[in-house]
Amino acid sequence: MENERVEGSFFNSPADRNFGDVMVVGGGVSGIQASLDLATAGFKVYLVEKAPSIGGHMAQLDKTFPTNDCSM
Amino acid sequence: MTYTEVDSVEGEAGDFKVTLTKKPRYIIEEKCTGCTTCVEYCPVQYPDQFNQDISQNKAVHIYFAQAIPLVAYIDESCLYLKEKKCLICESVCQADAIDLNQTAEKVEINVGAVILSLGIEPFDPRVREEYRYGEFENVVTSMDYERLLCATGPYEGEILRASDKKHPHKIAWIQCVGSRQVIPGGNSYCSAVCCTYAQKQVILTKDHDADAECTIFHNDIRSYGKDFERYFQRTEELPGMRFIRSYTSIARENPETKNVAVRYSTPDDGVKEEEFDMVVLSVGLNPPADYEKLAEIFGIELESHGFCKINSSNPMETTRPGIFVSGTFQGPTDIPESVFTASAAGAQCGELLDYRRGNLTKERIYPPERDVSQEEPRIGVFVCHCGANIGRIVDVPSAVEYALTLPNVVYAQEQLFSCATNSAQEITDMTKEKGLNRVVVAACSPRTLEPLFRDTVREAGINQYYYDMANIREHNSWVHSKEKEDATQKAKDIIRMSVARASLLEPLQEYDLPVNKAALVVGGGIAGMTCALSIVSQGHEVYLVEKDADLGGTARRIHYTLDGMDVQAHLHDLIEKVYQHPLVHVYTDAKITDAAGYVGNFVTKVESERGITEIEHGAAVIAIGADVYEPTEYLYGEDDRVLTHLELEDHIVREEEKVVKAESLVMIQCVGCRNEERNYCSRICCGVSIKNALKLKEINPDMDIYILFRDMRTYGFSEDYYREAADKGVRFIRYEPEDEPQVEPGESEEGRPVLKVTATDYILGQKLEIDADIIALAAAVIPSAGTKEVAGLFKVTLSPDEFFKEAHAKLKPVEFAADGVYLCGMAQYPKQIPETISQAYGAAGRVLTLLSHDTVVASGSICEVDEKKCMGCGACLSACTYGAIEFREVKKDKKAVVNPVLCKGDGLCNVKCPTGAISLKHFTDEEILSQIDAAAA
Amino acid sequence: METVAPFKEVIDEIKAAGGEIFRLCYQCGKCDSVCPWNRVRTFSMRKIIREATFGLTEIDGEDIWRCTTCGNCVQHCPRGVNQIEIGVSLHRVASEYEVFPASVRSARTARASIISEGNPLQGERKKRAEWAEGLPVKQFAEGMEILYFVGCYFSYDPRMKKVAVATANILNKAGIDFGILGSLENCCGESIRKTGSEELFKRLARENIKTFIENGVKKILVSSPHCYHTFKNEYPEFMVDFEVIHITQYLSELINDGRLEITKAYEKKVTYHDPCYLGRHNDIYEEPRNVLKKIPGLELTEMADSRRDALCCGGGGGRIWMDTPMEERFSDIRLVQANEVGAQVLATSCPYCITNFEESRLNLEYDEVLEIKDITEIIQEVI
Ligand SMILES: Cc1cc2nc3c(=O)[nH]c(=O)nc-3n(C[C@H](O)[C@H](O)[C@H](O)COP(=O)(O)OP(=O)(O)OC[C@H]3O[C@@H](n4cnc5c(N)ncnc54)[C@H](O)[C@@H]3O)c2cc1C
Ligand code: SF4
Ligand code: SF4
Ligand code: SF4
Ligand code: SF4
Repeated sequence: MENERVEGSFFNSPADRNFGDVMVVGGGVSGIQASLDLATAGFKVYLVEKAPSIGGHMAQLDKTFPTNDCSM
Repeated sequence: MTYTEVDSVEGEAGDFKVTLTKKPRYIIEEKCTGCTTCVEYCPVQYPDQFNQDISQNKAVHIYFAQAIPLVAYIDESCLYLKEKKCLICESVCQADAIDLNQTAEKVEINVGAVILSLGIEPFDPRVREEYRYGEFENVVTSMDYERLLCATGPYEGEILRASDKKHPHKIAWIQCVGSRQVIPGGNSYCSAVCCTYAQKQVILTKDHDADAECTIFHNDIRSYGKDFERYFQRTEELPGMRFIRSYTSIARENPETKNVAVRYSTPDDGVKEEEFDMVVLSVGLNPPADYEKLAEIFGIELESHGFCKINSSNPMETTRPGIFVSGTFQGPTDIPESVFTASAAGAQCGELLDYRRGNLTKERIYPPERDVSQEEPRIGVFVCHCGANIGRIVDVPSAVEYALTLPNVVYAQEQLFSCATNSAQEITDMTKEKGLNRVVVAACSPRTLEPLFRDTVREAGINQYYYDMANIREHNSWVHSKEKEDATQKAKDIIRMSVARASLLEPLQEYDLPVNKAALVVGGGIAGMTCALSIVSQGHEVYLVEKDADLGGTARRIHYTLDGMDVQAHLHDLIEKVYQHPLVHVYTDAKITDAAGYVGNFVTKVESERGITEIEHGAAVIAIGADVYEPTEYLYGEDDRVLTHLELEDHIVREEEKVVKAESLVMIQCVGCRNEERNYCSRICCGVSIKNALKLKEINPDMDIYILFRDMRTYGFSEDYYREAADKGVRFIRYEPEDEPQVEPGESEEGRPVLKVTATDYILGQKLEIDADIIALAAAVIPSAGTKEVAGLFKVTLSPDEFFKEAHAKLKPVEFAADGVYLCGMAQYPKQIPETISQAYGAAGRVLTLLSHDTVVASGSICEVDEKKCMGCGACLSACTYGAIEFREVKKDKKAVVNPVLCKGDGLCNVKCPTGAISLKHFTDEEILSQIDAAAA
Repeated sequence: METVAPFKEVIDEIKAAGGEIFRLCYQCGKCDSVCPWNRVRTFSMRKIIREATFGLTEIDGEDIWRCTTCGNCVQHCPRGVNQIEIGVSLHRVASEYEVFPASVRSARTARASIISEGNPLQGERKKRAEWAEGLPVKQFAEGMEILYFVGCYFSYDPRMKKVAVATANILNKAGIDFGILGSLENCCGESIRKTGSEELFKRLARENIKTFIENGVKKILVSSPHCYHTFKNEYPEFMVDFEVIHITQYLSELINDGRLEITKAYEKKVTYHDPCYLGRHNDIYEEPRNVLKKIPGLELTEMADSRRDALCCGGGGGRIWMDTPMEERFSDIRLVQANEVGAQVLATSCPYCITNFEESRLNLEYDEVLEIKDITEIIQEVI
């Protein structure tokens, strides 16, 4: 999860007038990627995750195919 | 917003009002430092969900070591919440972060669009008793097994059996658990990932224990993805590895050893029973838990299996406008696809909300950079355990101690995961506190994490090039897992080298480059057109270059898909939109003669029916698709009754008599690939043959259709059509590559001229001879003829299969290593139309992340020519693969000049330069030599 | 390796005989891995299906007759192939050609007996109610609470007659107003149908249905899971709908309702064998166990392979009438399993199971080790 830090800065707190461009529901690989892309492309994103941390199932995996690198 | 659930979504595209419930963490997020003191003191022990309930955790805990945000939470097992007693944590928390009186908080937000990335839920084998999960201790799911393999897992990376905490030596994987079955509790579709993840688990198991005996019990092996076939072979060739083609039953547990007996069937030896130390269930993917409720909350429809109902001509679209879907909630898929569908969904939001782009975001601000160039080096060393990945092999504390003895090192410490948010914060904090001016992190490969740590250093007000990474994982603990002492010594050596280099590092500046706002799309197939349209809908001009006279590509020859899409109608629609959109400029009969420039500033020359044009653009998308192999096998080209599948489709659509009235038709799969020459699976052809067979059965139900296959690779929902084809009477015969079907002309019993197809049937143990009126070959999909040329022009690389190579299979599936150049469609690898469309939108999404900015930042680690030393020999020019060096007239001499933007800092030119005029910043000779000296020391 | 061509005529015949479901098989091997035959010899249902797919069935061979219709593969087949239907269709084709291997000939005798006497055991039709002589068992008459449909084995087989007697005793004790059909009762036809005698089955079914209707039968009690299965699941093919209840269900009901009172203890360790046609085919797993659990002193234990995985006794699908070599009898394995969990009594509720188990008890010389009982025989002792 190399991009986490970058993304941290785009999480706007809801106090911020509660206006955003896009809400992404689900903080797995796909949700994180979507949030990152949108944030980089100039949109304000809310990423909503029901678990206490983002990462989804990929975070539970040890390494992932086909490159066998670390999934974190 | 974590620990938050969506209650309702009202309104419409562009203006949704969303109600959320933030569940109480009972921890004040802003105060929690993630120190885990509370976790230590908490008296409640219960199974850890993240570790698949294998290990224990506390009522107050952090979800997992690298969790984002790294903040603890308290769950419903807490004694205070249950019985109003305890409160130990409140008293131990230094930060006063615990607040057990928190309540759920309702939040309302307004957004213009929603993306659902709800993912999947692993199949729960408890719903079918036969798997004995929860009954036999040594039967685990593949998800459990992932945790066992993992350094942060329940036994810190040791694979142990639940029954006796011993290492299992003989392990069986059972495939398709919960998938490809129409029995109660199961899913009819193929989960698409488990064949390959099981292979991964075997490879990793063999890393842990080289002598482990591994067996995968399967029906088909579905290695349909890019590089999957090679991966499969790599697994197959491991010693002690068996692939057995049989589903199994878990028979019993040995009462003494707790081994698990598995029964399976082979055609030659009948049914055998074999004991394994551990059995791993390769569980499939279910739609997210509560999918019905979720559908209701979001107001979307689901398809029959409970996944999101999508439109195959735009797989990101749900049934409610303004709500998009990405990832596995579209249907079972792997990580690369989840990543590019995410970018694709992003692109669609971009199309919808382009008018308000940039209004709500703010720039990230870094602290001002401290000038430390005049200071003595003060180096801080952070040594990472990487869970157990490093810590299990390398003695980390002793490495830290050693680091402190090195010159210029003023500070050193260990960290469990340096990449976790709190650790990175710690690096920033310590840098400030100890007045460090250079940082070394001894952890993993710089390839993935260098940007993160550079950023960390930057946060501390230090130039980000004052950072060096010592790779003590890939280069050390992973390769020397057996030699712990030597590995520790080597780690010290690596750290010493890194420290030596760090002392000499220089601050470097990055460049801001202007970005041209237009994009060039090469290839006018479905991928190219879809991508182009998405980019123009977000306000950017696109130049679409197509080598043929017409747009459409391969799809012009495709009429229907398995899921019933009308391809021609879709294509006409696309072409019309492309021609009508004022921002798309189409060049047909076109050839690219030259491509120069760099990210944000490309100049490409195109020769077309419009003459020669020079196009300036900021991004380029390569979407040149693929070709179809022209078979030399099975009498193709010699006998006109032998067709390719594309020709067959064409004949079917034209209701050609000899095809639709045929009595018997044979399809042969895997023609021209999955062999030595083309060692990959063409991915689409199994589905294509099923599609054509179903169409033929619809037209002529009496036709005898045989499909000769090696593995039926109808992954995902296509499995349903495989079953449907069988149900309609299509017969499937499996063949082995070393015993290929034979085809020769002959006569049927009634004297009809036919082609005789002979193939071995392994279940019958006999050869079958079939009379065929028509033979259709599933000819391989091969890289487009222009691939090499285009790769050369845009300076991008190819995979071993000679399809274009993406920057990273998982993390950057639609980008090239060369910045500003993107990739989609079959140019990357064969894929089905919906997949192509997703990827095309994905590429558009990524293009927009570039084009929506006015400038891009170029790296500081580049080459520089010392003009005085340069004698203009030109050796460097040919060495550079990025074309970054050019000659400039200086007085009367020619001198080499490096274009700082194109330069990737690979240093090829340095070594070629006879006078040593070129140096690579951040890797200067001095820096490197000091490192080598340190190594020798 | 031999080269063969698909045999279209045979394929069509099998399809016509109702075996077309073979088309769904994707040869995964699951059925073979659960089939009880593979515990005693090699037998591949997958291969039988594959042969049928190409019309290459060895129609005069032994293999097509092996399947005991235990239903284990059916419940596991991921493709939803009903292997039993395929097997039966092959029997139909073989019967059409009248080709039978030696081991199957005795089933032909049973068939002849059913045709002439309405039972497979060569008992005279008029002696069908002989077992009840001297017992207060009435001829069924309209208005009675329930018809006790006794079944062939309970009517003629000396061992099974004891079960019929026990059943009648229990019913009387509970004060049930029941009757039997006596010589009007015909074989239910379930097993003979499985051997491919479709027409004979239809005749038997029609005759039985006619008798039921003429006698005003509404509710039918059966002792055999096979009668239960065909009445419940196959007779509705004739557009009729009777209420059918198996004796284990009925006992459970009577005990729960307090109509039948257990007054004595039964101090033995008992294990229960799920008959295929009660368990897998009709999902009745709990009632028999509930009945046994109600008996004080009785200790109920479970064998390996119980409930859904229950090991077949070997008697279904007409196998009860065919010759199975000593070393290939599943019932021997079952008795060993019962012994392994220390059971003194192997209880069940099916005439074929009991017949096979009693035979294995002799072969294994288990007479001192294990008793074989129908559940009614145990209940009879404790009321
Ligand atoms: C035999 C076959 C059967 C298929 N059947 C199905 C199916 O049933 N269902 C399904 O979902 N998918 C199917 N597919 C896949 C489907 O065709 C692709 O997913 C989709 O068409 C890919 O689109 P693309 O734009 O990536 O590639 P293409 O359609 O190949 O388009 C690439 C375009 O780029 C152009 N081009 C190439 N080189 C250059 C160059 N140097 N400069 C400029 N232009 C260039 C080409 O002329 C072409 O117009 C099938 C594919 C094949 C080969
Ligand atoms: S065939 Fe499909 S469901 Fe089965 S293991 Fe492979 S990917 Fe999973
Ligand atoms: S036919 Fe095509 S999709 Fe199927 S296995 Fe062969 S190469 Fe792969
Ligand atoms: S279990 Fe079903 S699909 Fe598998 S081999 Fe047997 S009949 Fe065929
Ligand atoms: S029904 Fe039973 S005996 Fe018959 S093939 Fe299936 S598992 Fe074997």
